Amino acid sequence: MKVLAFSHSMDLALELVSAGRELGDVSLLVTSDQEGRINEVKGAKEVLLCKGLDSGDQEGLVELISGLASDYEVVLLASDRRGRELVGQVAHRLGASSAVDVSSLSVEDGKLVVERMTFGGKAIAVEEMSLPAVISVQKGKFKPPEEGEPSVREVSAPSIERRVEVIERKEKPKVGVPLDKAEIVVAVGRGFRKKEDLKLAYELADVLGGVVGATRPVAADLKWMEEEVWIGISGVRIAPKLLIVVGASGQQQFAAGIMDSKVVVAVNTDSKAPIFEQADYGVVMDLYEFLPVLTKKLKEIKGG
Amino acid sequence: MDIAVLVKQSLDVQELRVDQDTGKIYIEDAPTKAGDIELNATEEAVRLKEKLGGKAIAIMLSTGGASGKRQKEAREALTRVLAMGLDGAVLIMGEGAEKGDTYVIAKALAEEIRDKFGLVLAAEGSEDNFSGLLPARLAAELGWPYVAYATAIEVEGDHVKVTRSLEDFEEVVRVKFPAVISVTQEINKPRVPKLVEIVKAKKKPLDQKDFSPPVEPKLTIRELKVPKVERKQIVIEGDVEEAAEKLIQALKEEGVL
Ligand SMILES: Cc1cc2nc3c(=O)[nH]c(=O)nc-3n(C[C@H](O)[C@H](O)[C@H](O)COP(=O)(O)OP(=O)(O)OC[C@H]3O[C@@H](n4cnc5c(N)ncnc54)[C@H](O)[C@@H]3O)c2cc1C
Repeated sequence: MKVLAFSHSMDLALELVSAGRELGDVSLLVTSDQEGRINEVKGAKEVLLCKGLDSGDQEGLVELISGLASDYEVVLLASDRRGRELVGQVAHRLGASSAVDVSSLSVEDGKLVVERMTFGGKAIAVEEMSLPAVISVQKGKFKPPEEGEPSVREVSAPSIERRVEVIERKEKPKVGVPLDKAEIVVAVGRGFRKKEDLKLAYELADVLGGVVGATRPVAADLKWMEEEVWIGISGVRIAPKLLIVVGASGQQQFAAGIMDSKVVVAVNTDSKAPIFEQADYGVVMDLYEFLPVLTKKLKEIKGG
Repeated sequence: MDIAVLVKQSLDVQELRVDQDTGKIYIEDAPTKAGDIELNATEEAVRLKEKLGGKAIAIMLSTGGASGKRQKEAREALTRVLAMGLDGAVLIMGEGAEKGDTYVIAKALAEEIRDKFGLVLAAEGSEDNFSGLLPARLAAELGWPYVAYATAIEVEGDHVKVTRSLEDFEEVVRVKFPAVISVTQEINKPRVPKLVEIVKAKKKPLDQKDFSPPVEPKLTIRELKVPKVERKQIVIEGDVEEAAEKLIQALKEEGVL
């Protein structure tokens, strides 16, 4: 099978090359702003370099990828927001099948079979896709290949009338330790009454050598975290060895993001909160009373 | 200019029961509802229709099958969004719709939308499947521009200014009508309709149409599996001091401290 891959993020693009190799030869599309990292690409058959297009141009990308795709059976994109924005548009232009956020792909009897989470994480759907297919691949599932120099071929940028014009772009502050790679995570929810109180969670994370994550409302709505790092089906999926969930109800969309954690602790005043069904150890207490004591005791042990 | 709001009849995933031992998923027993983020899309439509001077209509293509229960729930979900201030609703329903993938549904919805609306609002993802594929496919079918993940929408003459939130930056874009835009939960706080508004909503036009698939699907679901997650669910008892000590002891035994 011939696979065309592209991601706005070069790190995710390298994961896509690896995913694509499960199916066949991979051509990776690289845009002008990514040209500087071309030598990091290993394991692809070729790099298609488009010097006339920036990855910020979504309309241009839909046009370019749809045009190139006629030579391929499968198009792989990343499951970040801009990647997912492209999937449906490209698939429909091609009259292709589509799936997002897939965790595995294989070919069985000439059929492309993928797996993905559905029903807010309560089920895994195994889907049979007709070819051509356009797919976004779940982040962190595939390790970038380490060997194999691709050839480089230049492709020209499409000329179309743009109907969407970017008038402003503001960078967000960068995340310190990526949540999805952290060993220990303290996840905070709306049980915290004000932003300053998150200090309790940061102190706990500090003594454990972990990082702090949040539920979607705390990060995206209240904007209490400097970075947009929420855990869940629409955010990051984490797999730490220890997760301590504090003041979060454990709604399904959040729970979907913590399933791969090894040990889960929940602290919540409401003994009926769904988070207790997702936890190995539950503490039914006020976080304002419990966290300071827990942190103090941990300090005593860690301090010697 | 009229606005179409896409409302999906989603399974209420919070209420959906699955059996980890047998792998059974009780889909038929679970209730359905309009997705939470579709309430945000509805709220935004109600706010924008004053500026655009037209109507705002909910469009639902139900894939829940045509049973009496699902039909009743679909109409209730539409009554809910009508009570928030939409002017009317279209419900498309019928046998075979449950096999429709996003390719089929987008084609069918486009027939309902083309030539009638200047703006389509949708959720960034549906409550139960959260793929976000449908608005993107619909835009491609209609040949309209698509902007996803809106956290603010402002009308400026013959175009809209959309602020959208992406992982590493925030972007402001200008889009010409007609367009398809998907919104996030952060765009607004959906109003909670009063009882009188719900009563009134029942009298608003709700146009029910029969669904017949315009094309064959490109994707079929072979199997639904239940992921195995085993949690100990041990409740730690005692006062604050005792609980902290017991928890630390347990975590030491787990080897995670
Ligand atoms: C399509 C869709 C996608 C979504 N995606 C995500 C996602 O990716 N991630 C996500 O997180 N959410 C997501 N959501 C939202 C999700 O449904 C929940 O609304 C959200 O997770 C709830 O956040 P929370 O637990 O912080 O707040 P709440 O549900 O309000 O819970 C607060 C909890 O704190 C407890 N509490 C209060 N005071 C104290 C105290 N003093 N001490 C201890 N406990 C206390 C309460 O008992 C309660 O259980 C999504 C929703 C939809 C519809």
